[in-house]
Amino acid sequence: MANSNLPRRIIKETQRLLSEPAPGISASPSEDNMRYFNVMILGPTQSPYEGGVFKLELFLPEEYPMAAPKVRFLTKIYHPNIDKLGRICLDILKDKWSPALQIRTVLLSIQALLSAPNPDDPLSENIAKHWKTNEVEAVETAKEWTRLYASGA
Amino acid sequence: MGQYPNYRPYYIPQISGWGPSVAPLPPPPPPLQPAPYVDHQSAKKIKNDVNVHKDTIRLQVDEQSPDCHLVSFTFDALVDGSITIFYFAKEGDNCRFTPVYPEIVPVKVPFQKGLGQKFCQPSGTGVDLGFFDTDDLSKPVEDIYPLVISAESHGPSMSMASSEELENMSPHAQISQAVLQKKDGGIFQVKVIKQILWIDNARYELREIFGISNSDEAAINDMESGKECIICMTEVKNTAVLPCRHMCMCGDCAKELRIQSNKCPVCRQPIEELLEIKVDEEAEDSPTAST
Repeated sequence: MANSNLPRRIIKETQRLLSEPAPGISASPSEDNMRYFNVMILGPTQSPYEGGVFKLELFLPEEYPMAAPKVRFLTKIYHPNIDKLGRICLDILKDKWSPALQIRTVLLSIQALLSAPNPDDPLSENIAKHWKTNEVEAVETAKEWTRLYASGA
Repeated sequence: MGQYPNYRPYYIPQISGWGPSVAPLPPPPPPLQPAPYVDHQSAKKIKNDVNVHKDTIRLQVDEQSPDCHLVSFTFDALVDGSITIFYFAKEGDNCRFTPVYPEIVPVKVPFQKGLGQKFCQPSGTGVDLGFFDTDDLSKPVEDIYPLVISAESHGPSMSMASSEELENMSPHAQISQAVLQKKDGGIFQVKVIKQILWIDNARYELREIFGISNSDEAAINDMESGKECIICMTEVKNTAVLPCRHMCMCGDCAKELRIQSNKCPVCRQPIEELLEIKVDEEAEDSPTAST
């Protein structure tokens, strides 16, 4: 097991995530790799994702916290900043990463991204276009996908 | 706190490699050791005998003469000394201040040592600010500040000195340079722009460092604004980033960060200098100076 020399920071973050989870977010490390987290984010209320349970994977690379965690949606989601592979377009996961951020703050940012889709900085061109040309219809599709793929069953 | 005459230029650390790969043959490559971080400095400790709490400075109407305003504030003094209040004063050599309008004579009031003292300018010594334009009062013009409060300490050694020696001796002083902003109802609000320390013939500018919380705050919220380095969350933080003044890292993480990035973890401003501040309680009188 490669967990023997896990940095204290990762141990502390993990303990705090488990003992004081953020509302609507759960993250627990995998048993065989303490750098790999199974994450669940509840769709925020008053968003097209309300009622959905979204699974994500989060991996802390060797350079963490100097480098950002790698996060990906496993549950299919209709969102202009998330592509069909579940990759997320979020500045703090890229050039705006700072070691002052943590697993908790990253997941809170992703939760906020669900509440505030940003079609002007898209990852999925088609979904972003849909969002900008017919937002009502795009939101309906997002709700539909939430029912179909994120019902938590 | 930077001592200005000692300010060093900033050297960009060479992280791009060990020189050109197509180098002419000898000289042999340098031994593989990390480049020294010349911009990683340790703080020097200086003692400030008198401290005017800059957020407590007020201007109040003199009840005996309602056109005039009096200065009041709270201060701590470890030794006896005096407070001098200047209006429209300019800094000269050796941190001496002179009023630009000679008719406004500075007011000097002696004090005795004590913590948490209240200073009130004696009635009748105030200035009628109605003579001045509110614009002139609300901002400094070059280095002339509308209100300058100099708190001088008379060190224990000075009481033993003869008057002639005293004349040549430079007292320690903390100077607060402020502007006066007129608020609704004609009340003047005092806003300190700069604080200077003059100690042993050296001039220091006082700057706050963000992230040095007092122990009470840290006890309440030990994980967010606590004493631990925000990167490793293990060691005690002791390194501030300049010029943004965020104290957020331990020395080792600061060195590590400089290899990876040149941005402050808290605000993402470029790092120009790292300042290590040793807070070791037991070695109080062995200053860790290296500047």
